[in-house]
Amino acid sequence: MIKRLLAATSIATLCLVSAASAAENVEMWVRSGIGDAFKKVVEAYNSGHENKVVMTEVPFSELVQKYATAIAGGQAPDALSMDLIYNPAFAAAGQLEDLTDWAKSLPYFNSLSPSHVRLGTYQDRIYGLPLSVETSVFAWNKDLYKKAGLDPEKAPVNWDEITANAEKIRALGDDTYGFYFSGGGCGGCMIFTFTPLVWGAGADILSADSKTATLDTPQMRKAVDIYRNMVKKDLVPAGAASDNGANFLTFTNGKIGQQSLGAFAIGTLVTEHPDINFGVTLIPGVDGKPSSFAGGDNFVITKGTKKIDAVKEFLEYVYSMDGQKIMAKYGSLPTRGDIADKVLEGLDPRMQVGLKAIGVAKTPYTLQFNDLINSANGPWASFTNASIFGDDVDGAFSSAQSEMQSIIDSGQ
Amino acid sequence: MTGSGSEILLPRRRRRRRSNWRGLAYIAPAMALVIVFFIMPVLFTGWMSLHNWPLMGASRWIGFNNYVRMANDTRFMTALNFTAYYTVIVTIAIFAIAFPLAIFVEKERQFVGAYRTIIFLPVVVGLATASLLWVWLANVDSGFIGPALKALGLVEKSPNLLATFDTAFLTIVVMVVWKIAGFTMIILLTGLQAIPSELTEAARIDGAGRWQRFRHLTLPLMRKTIALALIVSVTGSILAFDQFYIMTSGGPQNKMISVVYYIFNQSFVSFNLGYGAALSIVLLAILMAISIVQLWLLRVGEERP
Repeated sequence: MIKRLLAATSIATLCLVSAASAAENVEMWVRSGIGDAFKKVVEAYNSGHENKVVMTEVPFSELVQKYATAIAGGQAPDALSMDLIYNPAFAAAGQLEDLTDWAKSLPYFNSLSPSHVRLGTYQDRIYGLPLSVETSVFAWNKDLYKKAGLDPEKAPVNWDEITANAEKIRALGDDTYGFYFSGGGCGGCMIFTFTPLVWGAGADILSADSKTATLDTPQMRKAVDIYRNMVKKDLVPAGAASDNGANFLTFTNGKIGQQSLGAFAIGTLVTEHPDINFGVTLIPGVDGKPSSFAGGDNFVITKGTKKIDAVKEFLEYVYSMDGQKIMAKYGSLPTRGDIADKVLEGLDPRMQVGLKAIGVAKTPYTLQFNDLINSANGPWASFTNASIFGDDVDGAFSSAQSEMQSIIDSGQ
Repeated sequence: MTGSGSEILLPRRRRRRRSNWRGLAYIAPAMALVIVFFIMPVLFTGWMSLHNWPLMGASRWIGFNNYVRMANDTRFMTALNFTAYYTVIVTIAIFAIAFPLAIFVEKERQFVGAYRTIIFLPVVVGLATASLLWVWLANVDSGFIGPALKALGLVEKSPNLLATFDTAFLTIVVMVVWKIAGFTMIILLTGLQAIPSELTEAARIDGAGRWQRFRHLTLPLMRKTIALALIVSVTGSILAFDQFYIMTSGGPQNKMISVVYYIFNQSFVSFNLGYGAALSIVLLAILMAISIVQLWLLRVGEERP
């Protein structure tokens, strides 16, 4: 009798233990300020699965520092939604799980966003897979266009038109401006919205092998002139000069006529600012030929985590039709090309522009992205500030060019 | 002669040694803290500074290369210059405000408690909080300062104070003075109150005017207090970081990167921990040198009759 009781209790205990160990909490960090898409997909996953994802938001400007420090201190989360541009550096440092075999076993692997997979690959091994896809696009406020006597349905196709429209919108009055950009100290914002001007015209800031800085080109000088001119004509709010990215979505206040934004902003505008009537088109290059930045996040798994299976289960949910639909509803473009049309079915047609941008979009591949581009004190951020708002354009070009080159050289 | 001398000295020396041990026992807990939280980290930093030490991955011994690199690092030299400039301006500004304030609130008068509290209040606000508060105050659209200047008719258009070096630097200096002056005032106030009133009265009876009493009595007696206030202000300014990081991210155009900010950038943006450690050691040496000079100047003054 006692034996049987013991057996029963031990089986019951075993069941309890196995149930407890089956349900896992996956710690995951995500950068703040990129919209709601990821939050909503986590909510949906948590409500329907035994495993739970515990999400921590980290300010986007500090995510790299926090994650690297956490790795060094052994306190890193199991997984991370990482700005794809940092993927090569962390993979090269040997801090991420190799996902190659699993990734290639996914039936839809070949239709995952190619730019993301390229950035997630280091020396032919895959360390990151696309989580959210963002392209930069150009948005205009249709109501302000109408008020300024412009055709609200006609998208501007070059920068002369954009500048002329901006002047008309600025003429509406005190706090209505024609254009906005986060230019003061936000390298990440400017690479996202400003370099497409140059890419469309065939130039780039780095050589194809990322070993030479190629900042000083006629195309870049022209791009700088376009922005400088608009600042000089007072078409841009003064706050742009010191914006560190905190006001990236200024367009949502309804008083900005035109702004280059991420496709994620379409979702934010549609769900949170339904009163703003806006149009979306591709960002024209300096010679009118459009381009875009393929940004967004890759999903990476911290090396050595014990919850790798739970993390994979969550990622497979994100890739499912349900997951993709939720992400798209809140502004993230489909990461799977094979079901993109179905995912966007019934959603705002402006999302299609973001999808179209993927076709012309670029993403620089370098291990030094933070030092060169994103750091508030890097050469790119101070270049855009100095060349657009400063007095010495030539000096801004030459010092940024040489500083970029010296950072590249010191890293080799 | 020598023999008798040592006979007298011997017991005294023994007594002194015993009390040395007792004294040592008394300060042991404090010493343990200093060793664990100051000396060991400094030694470790020195050790790190001799390595190429990435945040992720293995470190590699490179001897004194980090120090050699520093000599050719123009960005470090720029940061040193800027920090020195900032330290001089801020120290003078704080002192010029805090000393008159201390004299003002020293005398017992109506509401003096309220005055002291109001002046001291900003000190209890954290520096990061104060910086954020001033970022908002200085905001061109939603802030207070720019629109107020415009409303007063002093400027045509609300200026973006944080967008140019001159106005951003001025804003930061004003913020720091607002935040720190109360603390310096309290130090100076303590010094003022320690001056025996008999002395001032005697001087007054001897016919010394207000300025004479200040020049020949208050100032000399305040020497130590002033030196303390200066050391605190100089050390604090050389270590300045939060305000530049929060208010302008070192901008505009990287013109406001202090030495500590540069160390932060090297260590936690570029992940060159070894180089960051070397920079920290040099900063420590600079701070020690400045403090030694200040303390020495103080002592030179004391020797005068």
